[in-house]
Amino acid sequence: MQSSAGTEPDKRAYLDVVGVGKAFKGTSVMSDMDFRVARGELVSLLGPSGCGKTTLLRIIAGLTSADAGDILLDGRAITRVPAHRRNISVVFQSYALFPHLTVAENVAFGLRARSVPKSEIAPKVNEALQLVRMRDFADRPVSALSGGQQQRVAVARALVVDPVLLLLDEPFSALDRKLRETMQVELKSLLRDRDMTAIFVTHDQEEAMGVSDRIAVMNAGKIEQFATPSELYARPKSAFVMDFVGLSTRLRGQVQKTDGSVMQIETANGLVLAKGALGVGSDVTVGVRPELISPGAGENTISVTLADAMVLGAKTQLHGMSHTDDRLLCEVPGIQTALTRGQDVTFGWSVKDTLVYEAHR
Amino acid sequence: MRRLEHIGLLALPGLTFLAVIFALPLLMLLLKSFQIDGQFSLEEYRLFFSDDYNMSVLWRTLRVAALTTLLALLIAYPTAIAMSRANGIWLSIFLVAMVLPMSVGVVVKAFAWSIIFRTRGVLNDMLMSLGVIDAPIRMLFTETALIIGAANVFLPFMVLPIYAVLRQMDSRLPEAAASLGAAPVFRFFNVTLPLSLPGVVAGCAFVFSLAVSMYVIPSLIVGERQQTLSMLTARSFLYLRNEALGATISSILLIIAISVVLGSSWLANRLGARQ
Ligand SMILES: Nc1ncnc2c1ncn2[C@@H]1O[C@H](COP(=O)(O)OP(=O)(O)O)[C@@H](O)[C@H]1O
Ligand SMILES: [Mg+2]
Repeated sequence: MQSSAGTEPDKRAYLDVVGVGKAFKGTSVMSDMDFRVARGELVSLLGPSGCGKTTLLRIIAGLTSADAGDILLDGRAITRVPAHRRNISVVFQSYALFPHLTVAENVAFGLRARSVPKSEIAPKVNEALQLVRMRDFADRPVSALSGGQQQRVAVARALVVDPVLLLLDEPFSALDRKLRETMQVELKSLLRDRDMTAIFVTHDQEEAMGVSDRIAVMNAGKIEQFATPSELYARPKSAFVMDFVGLSTRLRGQVQKTDGSVMQIETANGLVLAKGALGVGSDVTVGVRPELISPGAGENTISVTLADAMVLGAKTQLHGMSHTDDRLLCEVPGIQTALTRGQDVTFGWSVKDTLVYEAHR
Repeated sequence: MRRLEHIGLLALPGLTFLAVIFALPLLMLLLKSFQIDGQFSLEEYRLFFSDDYNMSVLWRTLRVAALTTLLALLIAYPTAIAMSRANGIWLSIFLVAMVLPMSVGVVVKAFAWSIIFRTRGVLNDMLMSLGVIDAPIRMLFTETALIIGAANVFLPFMVLPIYAVLRQMDSRLPEAAASLGAAPVFRFFNVTLPLSLPGVVAGCAFVFSLAVSMYVIPSLIVGERQQTLSMLTARSFLYLRNEALGATISSILLIIAISVVLGSSWLANRLGARQ
């Protein structure tokens, strides 16, 4: 987390990952990772494939050991506690259901492992299966289930043991879009009802925004920004976060003049005004969210030729092409048929809506 | 349809070879054991089973095969687990260690063992100098030596099928079990072991069939004193010139082998169907 809190202990933290580092065969995957989650929070780890999300999850679960740093849960260091004594349940990407057991036996597994008396197991299993609407399948072998059903069983199996923390590694990635959306809504309300603290791993930003209170955007073993979905969308801290969370128009430019609060940025498409106080001469990336751009006038304007006008139902997407062949994306609410392909229009937006990031060379 | 014909054509040499060299003689042997003077009869079997000596040989053969299988399994299982977790150079070393001994003839091995097992051999000397025993004990020409020797020769046939099954197992399964609160021992008995059973069944079937019909190993290790069914077969054909007895024992061995194959594939199927 790159908040001002730094690495000072956070009184509210329930899960506290402190300075964790991990390398595989000499290649560092993450170093000095700090990550805090409050009790009852639903948090997403969002990032491109290979950025270390699964590794962080496995370190929290105790399935992979960290090379450096500590994991604290509810104020207690669990870094050296083996996975089976952490009481942290994991829903794996492939579900990892036991193929030799039935649905009910899969759900009962964690209870049997904890030596829960037989008489208590059956009602608990029943209740858990009821929760995910899989009671009718109790005696089926898991191989006879569809992807969505397997996922439900995996969730029931993870929740029935009353874990202190639930970790889910891309739990929806194997499901088709429709089912994925249903499952997201169901799972979220299920976890809320039980005040469960949970961490979702995902590379799908829409999913992250839908299911979580806060999102940690990861890139190459670092957390770039950890914030609420709306904060993340409205005020991305870096060009990476801006690109990864939502669509945007991107232009390259250089700061030409600044009065301390508004900068003039020179781009191939003319001057762009933005809030901020970067030094004159800085190379920058300029971004604008598509719904903040409107056809017509504005404090900033760029002339474009429409390459496409896509009616998507609730909104219409206008793809503009500037004379320098930069693509500009504009979204207007509702169905908009007045503007068509090939038309010349002006895209405009407010100074306060321009996002500016210093470009890395 | 055309493809099937092609497959048939390609398989023809192999099928012919097997039919002429393997199936036909076996069939003739089987027929021979069921007839006397050209008439169908179970007399040979009645004679065989009513003879106490023959029965003792049959039981010894089955007992030795069962114990050999058990010993091989006990040694092979941990080995297979280690192999399934090994990678790179270690895996290569394991595989070579499994396959290389197969290329050393059984005769050579048996001679090597006699150096170790004989009355003034390496093992006895070692045990005496350690003070475990006072006087040398007889090891060669005992059933124990036979079982140890046979388990040694057949070990790869037990390790490899178990290794193959463990290797295929999703490594997330033991991890899922751990995250559900299962300690290592619970994990082993409730996840790894049940999922490896098809490999165990295949390995046991291999080793048991091999051990029931082994001839060279008992001839070299225990000699004529303690006969097994195979040795008895050879004796009937070669020395006693009793072809009917030889055919009968061969048929019994064949029936045991077929039962093991059918039984194990049935069991493997049942285990597989659950997964
Ligand atoms: N067991 C492992 N051995 C070697 N490299 C690994 C191992 N697990 C992960 N890695 C590497 O660590 C990096 C992060 O992997 P991972 O945490 O799985 O990423 P993500 O889940 O974000 O896709 C990748 O480059 C991956 O190749
Ligand atoms: Mg992953």
